[in-house]
Amino acid sequence: MIARIRIQRAGPLCTVQDLGRPGHLAHGVSASGPMDRAAYILAGMWWEASDDAGVEFTQAGIDIVLEAGQLPVGWAGGVFAVRLNGELLSWPGKCTLAAGDRLSVTPGPAGNYGYLRFGGTMNVPDVLGSKSTSTRARLGGLAGRALQTGDFLEFQGEHGRPDGAVPPTPNAEAKGPIHFIWGIHAEKFAPAVRRNFVEVPFRVSAAMDRMGVRLVDENGVFAGASILSLISDPIMPGDIQILGDGTPIVLMRDHQPTGGYPRIGTIVSADLDRFAQIRPGETVAFAPVSVDHAHRLLGSRKA
Amino acid sequence: METLSEQTLRGGNRDWPHLPQIVPLGDSALLVRFGQSLDDAANRAALAFAARVQSDAIGGVSEVVPSLVSVLVRYDPTVIGPVRLAGELGLRLDSNGMQENTQVQHIAVRFDGPDLAEVAGVLGLSPDAFVAAHNRSGLRVLTTGFAPGFVYCGLHDSALTVPRRALVRPVVPAGSVLFAAGQTAITSTEVPTGWHVIGHTDFRNFDALQNPPTRLRAGDELIFEVVP
Repeated sequence: MIARIRIQRAGPLCTVQDLGRPGHLAHGVSASGPMDRAAYILAGMWWEASDDAGVEFTQAGIDIVLEAGQLPVGWAGGVFAVRLNGELLSWPGKCTLAAGDRLSVTPGPAGNYGYLRFGGTMNVPDVLGSKSTSTRARLGGLAGRALQTGDFLEFQGEHGRPDGAVPPTPNAEAKGPIHFIWGIHAEKFAPAVRRNFVEVPFRVSAAMDRMGVRLVDENGVFAGASILSLISDPIMPGDIQILGDGTPIVLMRDHQPTGGYPRIGTIVSADLDRFAQIRPGETVAFAPVSVDHAHRLLGSRKA
Repeated sequence: METLSEQTLRGGNRDWPHLPQIVPLGDSALLVRFGQSLDDAANRAALAFAARVQSDAIGGVSEVVPSLVSVLVRYDPTVIGPVRLAGELGLRLDSNGMQENTQVQHIAVRFDGPDLAEVAGVLGLSPDAFVAAHNRSGLRVLTTGFAPGFVYCGLHDSALTVPRRALVRPVVPAGSVLFAAGQTAITSTEVPTGWHVIGHTDFRNFDALQNPPTRLRAGDELIFEVVP
């Protein structure tokens, strides 16, 4: 059975994502994948969905209409408002769309990214082993671009079970500072700068996308601390680089593969999802941890 | 359970006196540094080490990424910890520094870029003399980075070194041949660049439908040929 959805309204930078295409950094391609990986997985658990791709949407949400067939859908990530034919449903949650049904996701109180996962295989080709869209590299998804109003996505087969196990309630949102490991250039920053970096908060700016999140350095931590002419090294998601003018940028899933700006730290894997969901205007504080501690955090979040 | 302080991994040094040096890059990768600025020996050492780690595999290593003078080694922390991985990497550092299985590739270039005359002028050469000097240098692929299939090739003689442009071009097409900082680069996709555009080629290093998606490997020797 083929189910077809029409994108009735797409907020900016809604993209097709799966778990990404790690392993191609040496070819100049970063892994992409969901900005909030745990939420992406949770959205798929409602229907015991396959590992197949879903749709990542941004703060403005997305409206889809099922034009043909029948399609189980699950959703999670941040807190959005979701309506089936106008009727408010719970977040996170699930439903089965019948032909003609309209699912509308509109802005909610928290988060930048949400996910729709489907009980079927999305009819989008694998590129380097993944359907994830990188608009930077113009790979994956629909011709390497963001979804637009009027696009169609088709799904084949049925993966989910309507009576699939109810996923565990998501952990209460962890609060507190974002943990990081001192970066590959931390020693290039003066001790006072490093101390200030962990003592004063930064503000998340509106200049954020899947490539990176610019922070506002309201307390001037990096004013006059510019370090020039470093040789390029490979980049990992979560790297915190400081531009020549002192602007901190956290590099995210569609990061450039290499970079030469000084990196003071790298956000730990266990906190990167949470960081991605911090909205523009909110503050963020950074706390250093050891690599061992980061691995313990990773283990406890997975448990 | 392994224990590890950052100080151990960093060797307790502030200013990188010991190279190569193994440092954590986040909680799932180590960076092995062979230099702190671009030089030919450090690049060759990094490429040889990356090839060694790829051929003499280490369990739990998910990706090996050679760069200009460093190698990123990604690992799965549920399989191997950074202390043991650093030890395994250390055992592979004493290779002979030779990278095997490199290829020679011919790149046909039309030297008609908008910055050719300016670059030649800065170097006190005519455009033809600049092209001849450019193609006389033995160039290697130093690394792939910045964008899909974007290769950094070098190193040119110090007499052929010019800085980058003051202004960044927001986009140059795929196949652009770029020149700056003692290197020549070839683009495989549209990219912004602050490098000088000296020509273009029909050679495309990146094809997402191929596996591997790039034709050139770091370490390959390049021969640039003039297309009239």
